[in-house]
Amino acid sequence: MAAPFDEQGEVREGFLCPLCLKDLQSFYQLQAHYEEEHSEERDVRGQLKSLVKIAKKAKDKLLKREGTDRAEGASQERYEAFSYGGVDPCLWDPQELGAARSHLSEFKRHRAARIDHYVVEVNKLIIRLEKLTSFDRTSMDSARIRATEKLVVSWVSDHDVPFCPDCGNKFSIRNRRHHCRLCGSIMCKTCTQLVTLSLANKLTSGSKQSLTAHGSPSLSPSGSAHASRRGSISSLGSVSSVLEDKDDDRIRCCQHCKDTLLKRETQMDEKDHTPDIVRLYQRLRGCMEKVEKAAPVYIQMAQSINAGETTYNLEHANNVRIEVQKHYELIDALSKKILSLGMNEEPKPAPRALQLQKMVRYSATLFVQEKLLGLMSLPTKEKYEELKEKRRQENERRMQRERQAALDAHRRLGDDRRREVNALPSGALSGDLSPSRGIRKVEGWLPVSGAPRSREMSDPLLQQIENISSYIQQARAAGRVDEVQMLEENLRQLQEEYDQQQVEAAIRMSRQLAEDEEMQREQLEVLRRREEKRGQLRGFAKHSRTHSLDFRDSAQAATIWQDDQTSALDLPLPKAEHSPPLRSPSPIKPPHGADTETSPNHNYLCVSPVLPQAKLGRGSPLNPFEEDEPALPLPGFPRQQNGQTGYNPFDGVEVKPEAEVESSKGLEVAPPDPSENSKPGYWEPGAPRNPFEEEEQVGLGNPFEEDEEETIEEDLLLQQIDNIKAYIFDAKHSGRLDEVEVLSENLRQLKATLAKQQNM
Amino acid sequence: MGRVGTVAFWHMYTMGVGGTVALCGHDVVFVWQTSVVSMVYTQSEILQKEVYLFEHIDSPNRESMKHLKAICFLRPTKENVQYLIKELRRPKYSVYFLYFSNVISKSDVKSLAEADEQEVVAEVQEFYGDYVAVNPHVFSLNIVGCYQGRNWDPAHLARTTQGLTALLLSLKKCPMIRYQLSSDMAKRLAEGVKQVITKEYELFDFRRTEVPPLLLILDRSDDAITPLLNQWTYQAMVHELLGINNNRIDLTRVPGISRDLKEVVLSAENDEFYANNMYLNFGEIGTNIKNLMEDFQRKKPKEQQKLESIADMKAFVENYPQFKKMSGTVSKHVTVVGELSRLVSERHLMEVSEMEQELASQNDHSSALQNVKRVLQNQRLSELDATRLVMLYALHYDRHSSNGLQGLLSDLRNRGVSERYRRLVSAVVEFGGKRVRSSDLFSASDAVSITKQFFKGLKGVENVYTQHQPFLLDTLDQLIKGKLKDNMYPYLGPSSLRDRPQDIVVFIVGGATFEEALTVYNLNRTTPGVRIVLGGTTIHNTKSFLEEVQAAGFQSRPSESSQGAMRSSVRR
Repeated sequence: MAAPFDEQGEVREGFLCPLCLKDLQSFYQLQAHYEEEHSEERDVRGQLKSLVKIAKKAKDKLLKREGTDRAEGASQERYEAFSYGGVDPCLWDPQELGAARSHLSEFKRHRAARIDHYVVEVNKLIIRLEKLTSFDRTSMDSARIRATEKLVVSWVSDHDVPFCPDCGNKFSIRNRRHHCRLCGSIMCKTCTQLVTLSLANKLTSGSKQSLTAHGSPSLSPSGSAHASRRGSISSLGSVSSVLEDKDDDRIRCCQHCKDTLLKRETQMDEKDHTPDIVRLYQRLRGCMEKVEKAAPVYIQMAQSINAGETTYNLEHANNVRIEVQKHYELIDALSKKILSLGMNEEPKPAPRALQLQKMVRYSATLFVQEKLLGLMSLPTKEKYEELKEKRRQENERRMQRERQAALDAHRRLGDDRRREVNALPSGALSGDLSPSRGIRKVEGWLPVSGAPRSREMSDPLLQQIENISSYIQQARAAGRVDEVQMLEENLRQLQEEYDQQQVEAAIRMSRQLAEDEEMQREQLEVLRRREEKRGQLRGFAKHSRTHSLDFRDSAQAATIWQDDQTSALDLPLPKAEHSPPLRSPSPIKPPHGADTETSPNHNYLCVSPVLPQAKLGRGSPLNPFEEDEPALPLPGFPRQQNGQTGYNPFDGVEVKPEAEVESSKGLEVAPPDPSENSKPGYWEPGAPRNPFEEEEQVGLGNPFEEDEEETIEEDLLLQQIDNIKAYIFDAKHSGRLDEVEVLSENLRQLKATLAKQQNM
Repeated sequence: MGRVGTVAFWHMYTMGVGGTVALCGHDVVFVWQTSVVSMVYTQSEILQKEVYLFEHIDSPNRESMKHLKAICFLRPTKENVQYLIKELRRPKYSVYFLYFSNVISKSDVKSLAEADEQEVVAEVQEFYGDYVAVNPHVFSLNIVGCYQGRNWDPAHLARTTQGLTALLLSLKKCPMIRYQLSSDMAKRLAEGVKQVITKEYELFDFRRTEVPPLLLILDRSDDAITPLLNQWTYQAMVHELLGINNNRIDLTRVPGISRDLKEVVLSAENDEFYANNMYLNFGEIGTNIKNLMEDFQRKKPKEQQKLESIADMKAFVENYPQFKKMSGTVSKHVTVVGELSRLVSERHLMEVSEMEQELASQNDHSSALQNVKRVLQNQRLSELDATRLVMLYALHYDRHSSNGLQGLLSDLRNRGVSERYRRLVSAVVEFGGKRVRSSDLFSASDAVSITKQFFKGLKGVENVYTQHQPFLLDTLDQLIKGKLKDNMYPYLGPSSLRDRPQDIVVFIVGGATFEEALTVYNLNRTTPGVRIVLGGTTIHNTKSFLEEVQAAGFQSRPSESSQGAMRSSVRR
């Protein structure tokens, strides 16, 4: 590594601007220059700094000096958290359709001109062909036939054509001229093509009749033409007939006309012919579409049922499941059939066709794998009952908790108010805080500073307050008075804000509660003691209403309390004592308000009602366990669940998933930890053992063994066989014989595989 | 500005064409010519779109499959049009959708129309995608060998012009053009593009943006250093050491490779791990891949343990696709990274790279010469790496008064480095030596390195393997700030940009590199409001760059003379 500073060449010293290398006399000038000249270069310094930082990190990495402080989770998140197909979503708009230009109209214009020409030509040939075949050839002698043929199209005169236009051979006595009956042109014998009558009939009268008349449509027309031609030569035998060659069942024509006719014929064939693969494929797509429609519905049902909800009927869901599964079976069977199309026939299908079949099968398999395996199972009847019961209980518990919390809140508010009333006359100065209260505060505070605190501090304001008070302590410890003052000012503001919020919330809540209560009571009273106790009731109602509506009172109390706070904070000595109340929200942590209730500390009493409410608010509406937990019947996602337990402190204990335990166990049991292997000598060049190779072995060897697949498959096979039997039965009942056939074939195959496996 | 890529073609295919395929059998044959689709989509995604077969239009023995439809995506070359005409005369499929990746001439459309006597063509469209999208912001034309001396190979010039205009059309940009004055090739290409824009003005009539987009055309010969360096970020490293060809890596030479890993696809589109790690350095990749593995194993063994009851198995099966996908990713990246690390230790790349970086970004001649000599003593250095060190030295110090190039060359000979490589040293200097460079490659990076040292003094740490910043960074930085000098990078035509550019397409004649791709990626991230797309005639690694230089045909060293005289002599 070259020493960084022993540059040869030109060495410049002094206050050089790092960007333009201008020499400036002093540091301040340099700074001024930098700000003036390079300020627009948006934070180059920052960029460079971050660059250096990155470089440092990278070097640490490269040199295997990796700190252990790097959170494993963070890097794990990195490859799981953001993925948008390799595209940073904030950088790139989704790719819009690029410019395109259609040439179709122009293309069509040119084609139309051409097609007109082509169609006219074809039609002309067909009409002539019709004329040529309209008389009875067999009963006429060749001279008369020839005369009739000449009527259809005027023949080119022999003298004009000394050479065959196709092959270029000279015409002579031995190489005689022949005329095309369709266009009248001349060619030699070898260039002559023949149109059989069957072909002519087919072309002129539409495919249907010709099929019935000539039985064997599969014979290719050219083949039949050649065959008949050969046949006629051998049968006629005599030289004269070869010379004279009377065409009784075929029409002589040139290569060009023949081509045109043949093209026309293939077109006609294709129009009516649908190969097997197309029919099967259409059914396959139909099934896939049905699955696409039905599967989401089913998944919704299953999720709901697995969560113990009663929106859907279990039986109905089961039916849907069977329906969907049947479609899968069908897809599987159909695609298998497509795969095996033409396999047993001679000649074998062409390689491309085979590949097509294979690909269709493959894509169907992919489809089934992706969709079917995503189908979640349904609980059994008993299990479902359990689930329902569990959910009901949970709901009840939740409601109870809500009620309890509300009640606590109400009671506390009441207490609070009483206390404030008491506090008012005696003067709200810090000196008035009784020593017993101070002790209590400390008591209340001490346990809170333990583990659960961080979890509870979900309110940002509270967190902030917490942070700042800890800063104050630190600052005070460090003896920085000015900072302490500044922080205290901050804290006061925060506190005010927070108190305001809490008080408001508390008031809102208590009012609501009081009203509810009032209404309930009112009803009860009305029913029971309509007569006697009416007056009494009214009195109570009035009382509670005034109680709850009088929020000016409490607001006042709050400000007074704040005064008390501020005054306390201004004094350096009692501060230490008084900072605990800043954390007062934390003692409320135990959500059961039992102990808080008894606490005489009005500071946090006026704060408390909101916390449990907020927590419940978060916990109840999307209580993640109700839906997710049963939906994932296996504890496959420990991470997710961890997140949830953190989220929902209430359920955390009860639902504490075995999964977590499992997963940690799994971790311990996990085969050789690659991290350990890769540590030593990771980056030492020339290190004797390359850690990556080991990783590779672990990676390749262990995770991809597919052993367990075998064992599954057997059970799955059995299950599948049962299923298919049921389907067959069903299909037979409803008379879908083709399905039965396909399914039973499938069944046979499955059994065969099963037998094979069992033998193994 | 949108990303580069041909994804949009598929969207269109599924929206527009897919709807009409309903009548008879949905199957589609893709008569294919370039590798664009296979780069963008995986097989299963293509299958989902009911595309089952891929055929080359020039493959002679395609069977007739009248129940299939064909989508043809072709470059409108003479040969392809001829193939199509032949195809349409005797159609093998029931319906044809013709898409051309670039502008097709009217006469070609006419001759195609006249060939379509059976009315099988259902669509004729130009859909511009005559390039290969490598990353969302990087494209390539896959052309190596565009230099003939210092001039264009005419065929490649035409092809490059087409590719570049197709890119502009697919991004819907009608840019102002700047080019590197010192490069005649850059100028010729700029003029070519301008000509097309003028000719097809209707096509380029896009919605005007406030600040018009900018096309900057550069020449590789201005920075021959970058393609010669070893790389340490994932994508660049893979390309340098293994070679990425249309997103595919050939791993057949890896010892003991399993059959299904002989060729792997690295595509950010459908490989999460790759997408998130392609720009990270090798050390970080190592950590991440370890995490990936651990994550995988954490899930896997647990499943194995619990496979006892039917319910367990069902649960496993329900989660199985995830495992399968994950196991594919794990094994692929473990293999690739494993191979990289094997090569690194086998070829002593740490040492080599450190030396390279010193040569590329520091200015101390005597220590450089000394160190190169020292490193060359190491007999385990590969031929290529030894040569590239000498090349870097030569590029940097070829005008230095006490230059020791001859000594180094004889060292190379003593090591037994082949004649070809030794000749290439002088060819590379000829290609991109100090006389050719219009800008001061090394003192420019000096500013950066001085700043770096400035902070190094503060921080005390620096990564020796990533000191070098490509010259492109400097150019683009100035461009973005509106400070790029007009006399070195003039505008084509009278008008010039008054505001700072926002949408920028940079094209490097002679090929870009992945190091530059990374630079542009970082620039895009750190400069809000600016979008840069980088392209090149190809994406080079050292090997392909040396092929490019060799194909350029610099043989003998012209006599020492002024720069202009040398140029003209080469041009002759």
